[in-house]
Amino acid sequence: MSNEPQSVSDSLQRNEFVVRKERLYGRLIAASAVLTILVTVGIILSLSGHALTFWREISPIAFFTGTNWSPVIGNSYGVLPLVSGTLIVTVCSALIALPVGLAAAIYLSEYASDRVRSLLKPSLEVLAGVPTVIYGYMALVYVTPLVDSVLPLSVPLVPSGLPLFPEFTLVVPSLRTFNAMSASIVVGIMIIPMVASISEDAMSAVPDELRQAGYGMGATKFDVATGVVVPASLSGIFSSFILALSRAIGETMAVTIAAGSRAQFLNPLNPASYLEGALPMTAAMVQLLTGDITGGGLAYRSLFAIGLVLFVITLVMNIISDFVAQRYREEY
Amino acid sequence: MATGSSQIEDFGQVSRTVGTIFRYLILAATLFGIVVLAALLVYVANDALQPATADPGWYLTFFLTLVAPTALVGWAVHRREPAAFTFGSFLVGLLVVSLMFSGGVGLLVVDVVPPLVGFSFAIAIAVPTAISVFLTRYSHRIGFTSRLSATAFVFYLSLFGLPGPIGSPIGVPQVVPSLARAIQSIPVIPVDWMMVGTVLGGIGGAVVGSYVAGVRDARTGLVAGGLAFAATLVSAVVGPFVGLNPVPSTVLTAVTVLPTATYAWRGAFTEERRPAGLGFAAVVVGGALVGAAATSTLGFAGPQSWVDWQFLTSAHSGSAENAGLYPAIGGSILLMATVAALSFPIGVGAAVYLEEYAPDNRLTRFVDVNISNLAGVPSVVYGLLGLGVFVTYLGQAAGTVIVGGATLALLILPIVIISSREAIRSVPSNMRQASYGMGATRWQTVKNVILPEAFPGILTGTILALGRAIGETAPLIMIAAPNVVFSLPTALESKVSAMPLQVYAWSSLFASEDFYTKAVPAGVVVLLAVLLAMNSIAIVLRNRFERTG
Repeated sequence: MSNEPQSVSDSLQRNEFVVRKERLYGRLIAASAVLTILVTVGIILSLSGHALTFWREISPIAFFTGTNWSPVIGNSYGVLPLVSGTLIVTVCSALIALPVGLAAAIYLSEYASDRVRSLLKPSLEVLAGVPTVIYGYMALVYVTPLVDSVLPLSVPLVPSGLPLFPEFTLVVPSLRTFNAMSASIVVGIMIIPMVASISEDAMSAVPDELRQAGYGMGATKFDVATGVVVPASLSGIFSSFILALSRAIGETMAVTIAAGSRAQFLNPLNPASYLEGALPMTAAMVQLLTGDITGGGLAYRSLFAIGLVLFVITLVMNIISDFVAQRYREEY
Repeated sequence: MATGSSQIEDFGQVSRTVGTIFRYLILAATLFGIVVLAALLVYVANDALQPATADPGWYLTFFLTLVAPTALVGWAVHRREPAAFTFGSFLVGLLVVSLMFSGGVGLLVVDVVPPLVGFSFAIAIAVPTAISVFLTRYSHRIGFTSRLSATAFVFYLSLFGLPGPIGSPIGVPQVVPSLARAIQSIPVIPVDWMMVGTVLGGIGGAVVGSYVAGVRDARTGLVAGGLAFAATLVSAVVGPFVGLNPVPSTVLTAVTVLPTATYAWRGAFTEERRPAGLGFAAVVVGGALVGAAATSTLGFAGPQSWVDWQFLTSAHSGSAENAGLYPAIGGSILLMATVAALSFPIGVGAAVYLEEYAPDNRLTRFVDVNISNLAGVPSVVYGLLGLGVFVTYLGQAAGTVIVGGATLALLILPIVIISSREAIRSVPSNMRQASYGMGATRWQTVKNVILPEAFPGILTGTILALGRAIGETAPLIMIAAPNVVFSLPTALESKVSAMPLQVYAWSSLFASEDFYTKAVPAGVVVLLAVLLAMNSIAIVLRNRFERTG
């Protein structure tokens, strides 16, 4: 476009050229933005299409309340064992990731010097960058034997020989080869950065005046961190928790490799469940596809039904997290 | 808060114990994940590389030839000239990363694209490109629509001929063969290394030439480009004398030697003048070579690592000792090429639209929310999307390169869009205003100002997103990619495996103590090495970007 137009007709022609070109490129890139909506539509349609024909044969009530999952042999499609597996992995990984991630966020935002932070933050991010299939392998081959080396464990919580108290001993049996515990540990580790970085962003957004006011009142650093900064960034922290949980629910490869392959209903309130093998929803989906199922069959379509449930759960959690972050954000 | 509502009588004492304990507790929490992961990776690396099996003499030799000189020279250079030290380390890093790349390119050239096909398509793309560049440069009198259609026609003619794929469904015979087909049917064809050398040397020469022209002037650039092209061809003749086949030696020259030499030239002999860095790099590389030569003459055995040449170049096998990763590596390379080709233009286009074009209305806000929600959808659901849309609805064969690549491209699309938007947003708005003030149109501003400014940031985000895609397994399982593939995929429609998929197959379907301690850790180490290389490129790019930006 460097040459000068030579005549009026030339310049008119160039004008037409430019206008058409502008319009074409504008439409092309608008189309790529619209494509993202098509992706969502595609997800919803492809999931619900098969899922609806599945629910026509297996009633949704039987699907959502059944406690037996054996699609290939027993032809029974109760999703509760899978949901309980997901719940157990999520709860256990949350027990690791939420406190650790929150503590890391407080350290990075309030205590760490710039130099330390610039080292620690990328190192934390590495935890989320390692492929999950590697986490699964490490859980199965290294974490389980490592945890198992201190098991079986019996810890007397009440010293024996006291006259009035009954004896109470905590007994932890050995782990199975495939168990929810090791899978949850690695899932917990991989979602730490999610909690830490989003919470840290929220804490860094708390204005310094609030901290200075705290110090001015004679508060210690500890008081300011836990009494001023954390409450002020509560909405961000909460939203990071929900996002991390949603990530744990959708996590596939680590639980597929390490958590087990037998679907059984596990009571999340019973601590012994966490040492059992579990089959979370995502792992069940992989199991369905690696097993011998025929395309278009009932087992094949059940895949999409589980997928839809998973999609809706994670979508709702993402929306809640967004809502919390927007609605309860303190404006400074 | 420290003070309650009760009246303060005196200042009293505040205990520091709680604060100190808290401080170390949260520091420990921050380090917890990092330490656990590092410990697990040490276990994996120990199983894969078996460092304990090496002779003590092997370690001693390498300590004397590599570690000690590197430490000494590095310390000296760093103390006198930190910039030269950085340059030297970058040079060594570039050498290592580009060696990995030439391995990948070599795999493509030797086993995926036959030299004649690659050569003919390179020409069939180069010729119409030259024509359309000529049209753009020298004729302003042709209208936009006719120019666009002329360009499209020339490309179509060159790649497909007439009437090409449009005519085949209605049975029109091929009248004019495509340029690619015509070249392939010439009875006398050059030798493989000439074709590979011409293509790679041409690309290498063009890149080196334009880089040098940017540093110095156009004439030096032309000379450098010609030299690079000649060097690539000459290396094929020289290669056999040092034990390399002609084709691999052209690949090695074009992908490893040219970039490293150009970077070394720039760092050592232009205005920057840091020959000390060049010396440091030479000490590291020379030390490694001398160490390798010394250990083989002295007969010190290295570690019995499971990551060896046999592992990298053979296919899956029933026994862990003979199992290899070759088809999976090739599959991952082809998948990444497809993913990059699909997600980069769409992602950047969407980002440009949302940042520069989109009106602030409800549709835009909806697209916005939609993208951030897509980023949170589990990867296994994207696999179902690929299965439902590409396989069931569009009728593609399951588990092929194109289906896998398209599925992974959709998976990383939100990440590419979000990071590209950040990069575009960081372009200062006065540059935009200046461009508009000069009478540039919106597209001209985007093309000439915004994209060049934001490019390093966009590239960084895309590489990081590709790093995410290369580690994904679940979507590939969902689109029914086979667990075991014995040959490399040679077309977009061939079945494909990938590195993480192979690791999964070994650790679940072939579960045995043997695979757990030999093949799987080796596969994990290779996958992590590739990821590390990709991420270090991204980080180097980002640091450069931040320094200049």
